[in-house]
Amino acid sequence: MGQSPSGDLTGPRVRVWDLPTRLVHWSIAALVPFSWWSAHAGHLPWHRLSGYTILGLVVFRLIWGVAGSSSARFTRFLRGPASVIAYVRGGGERLMGHNPLGGWSVAAMLGALLLQIGLGLFCVDEDGFEGGPLSKFLDFDTARAVAKIHHLTFYLLLALIVLHMGAIAFHGLRGRNLTGPMITGEAPAAPSGPAPRIAPAWRIAPAALAAAALAWLVAHGLRW
Amino acid sequence: MPRLNGRFAAVGVVGALLAGATLAASLSGADAAKARMGHMKALGAAAKALGDQIKSGAPDKAIVKAEAAKIAAAAQAIPTWFPPGSGPESGAKTQARPIVWTDPADFTARRDKLAAAVATLNTAAAAGDMAGVTVAFHPTLAACKGCHDKFKAPDKI
Repeated sequence: MGQSPSGDLTGPRVRVWDLPTRLVHWSIAALVPFSWWSAHAGHLPWHRLSGYTILGLVVFRLIWGVAGSSSARFTRFLRGPASVIAYVRGGGERLMGHNPLGGWSVAAMLGALLLQIGLGLFCVDEDGFEGGPLSKFLDFDTARAVAKIHHLTFYLLLALIVLHMGAIAFHGLRGRNLTGPMITGEAPAAPSGPAPRIAPAWRIAPAALAAAALAWLVAHGLRW
Repeated sequence: MPRLNGRFAAVGVVGALLAGATLAASLSGADAAKARMGHMKALGAAAKALGDQIKSGAPDKAIVKAEAAKIAAAAQAIPTWFPPGSGPESGAKTQARPIVWTDPADFTARRDKLAAAVATLNTAAAAGDMAGVTVAFHPTLAACKGCHDKFKAPDKI
């Protein structure tokens, strides 16, 4: 196994990202801009549908973060402050999958998505009709205030996304292609530790079902 | 020299009177704008309350009747909410566009559309006809949007 000038390993490739993780990533990447556009173009029913779908994807990701492949598990990539600092200083261990800083950015983005969706559920528009399925629990003035906050928190999400893309570009400039592995699932093996354990496929269905059921319940205003 | 002073004094007094009158007019314009915003919020609350009832699938007839009546009354009052001078020029933070006053024919036409739609809605609500209310609700809502699309500036966020 040789080493490229950037210090990256060339040689055998291993599966780092499983299919569900990759599908969730790219689906969210497509649906967030669609959510933004549909709201701005006044297509509120599509905006809601997009939001419910992202909710299902995020909930699935949270379940998968507990029950999925090891590279997807939060216990694997959420590290303490010492590891994060060590990584930033350059001496951190080379893991396959999210590095300590990237791991926390994933958590932040998932959190920001949940916040954005959570607020959206309670919004209502200026005419008092178009809104989230849980806006019925709030009075008009409060739901309008939530709508304004929902508009503002989008910028938090956007900032995290821009940082995320900046980080990917930064790694790309240093010879470390991170986009390819998130598409193909495969990356060069790293010196430290074994390849990630890929979760058995049967786990996808119950996780997806649970996530879809929750999203459906929320979409129907918590009535069934 | 005394005549020159007198003329300046006269101009000064007239100027002060004009400024005062303009200030008073724009102050009451700003008051009207603020009052209008309160009315519109109340109208939005009524629309939401009515919409929530319809969306629930089991509307409370008493609430529907009350909220529909509020919207009908508001539709009648809307022209009085827009006195001249109560637009952005009043200094108040209003989203009413100047075109309200430069295109009064269309403003009246769109308001009339609301009045007609809500009349049907209100009749059905008063009679306890929930099916009729549901049918009449969407043209009413569309009429709200119809005015706002042209005459209300979007929220700045």
